[in-house]
Amino acid sequence: MKREWNPLVKQVLDGERGIESLPPDLRLEAEDARRLLLDAIERQAVSLSDSVDARVMARVRRRAATPWSRAWHWLSAPTVPRWVVMVPIAAAAVLLMLMRTSTPPATVEQRTALTGQRDSVYVRFELYAPRASRVTVAGTFNRWDPTATPLVRLGSDGMWTVTLALPSGQHQYGFIVDGRNWVTDPAAPAVDDGFGRRNSVVSVNPINGRIL
Amino acid sequence: MDHSGAPSDGSVVRAVLAGDVEQFAVLVRRYRDRYARYAAHMLGSIDAAEDAVQDAMVRAYTHLGQCREPDNFAGWFFLILRNRCFAERRRTRWESGLEGVDEVPAPEQTESELERSEVVKALQGALLRLTAEQREVFVLKHVEGLSYEEIAARLSTSVAALKMRMHRAYDRLRELLEAP
Repeated sequence: MKREWNPLVKQVLDGERGIESLPPDLRLEAEDARRLLLDAIERQAVSLSDSVDARVMARVRRRAATPWSRAWHWLSAPTVPRWVVMVPIAAAAVLLMLMRTSTPPATVEQRTALTGQRDSVYVRFELYAPRASRVTVAGTFNRWDPTATPLVRLGSDGMWTVTLALPSGQHQYGFIVDGRNWVTDPAAPAVDDGFGRRNSVVSVNPINGRIL
Repeated sequence: MDHSGAPSDGSVVRAVLAGDVEQFAVLVRRYRDRYARYAAHMLGSIDAAEDAVQDAMVRAYTHLGQCREPDNFAGWFFLILRNRCFAERRRTRWESGLEGVDEVPAPEQTESELERSEVVKALQGALLRLTAEQREVFVLKHVEGLSYEEIAARLSTSVAALKMRMHRAYDRLRELLEAP
């Protein structure tokens, strides 16, 4: 026959009442319960072997070295929150974009513009790749999707370009040539991504409007 | 940095996500033992706990980008370890409640405590025969010393549900420990 503890005894086990508060006929049962369950609990600390750290880090480093790890970290990383606030600077944007045609080409150029997002800036990415048949850009702004953002060839001089509206902040990116070769931007600073590659970096600042 | 000068969990997580893989060792050192006792009691041995903590750590690294609250890495890691323990429990058949409990820390085996040692071992064996959910709430409350409210917050459940689970665990333990 299944025997259950009296509900009041369970409250004693839960620490919600003392044995002395129980009716006398339940105190023996409560003492039995404590002896069987609570007094027999082993609370001694458990220490794992010293080699655990090394073994974990060895596995972590192996994972970090895999080609997919880098992309996976960025794919699974929290996205930058964006605040959709209309900013009435359309005229300035058009003016700035028109100005672009009269300035010398730069690898990455930023223009404050109407983007539909507060603190966003148009950023122009350019890469000189005369032999490429296809160039894309992947970065933190498109979840490192190597196919999401193609560049367009400008005439026949080997220059590829795309203009994106990016929120303010720092973005890392790289170019992918012909779908397989990752190329850092030769005119932008780069950082080690911790996985054996270098990422180009662009800092978007809507106040200055133009920062590399 | 906290008041001791050690980097916060949040800053370490962000550094790892930014590419500084070696910083992950800080989190390993910080949490390798904190939940080892929980894992040992959930799985019945220190060896099993060690494997679980290692696997959970590597899994935490792999999915670090999904840690939405880097400053609460500890709570997030606990849930990963918990899932690992539950998966191990599902995978393993506990043929006997006494199997696999020898390596859970026991008190010093002096003669005067031999009797208690037997009682401890009996309880550990009985705990292994609870459902994973019942066992967990018992371990968190009576081994780790958490309140029902703290457990509820950690497991995203209600105090009432936890109490119901625990009270069933008390009855089941009585049944197991008083069986002839």
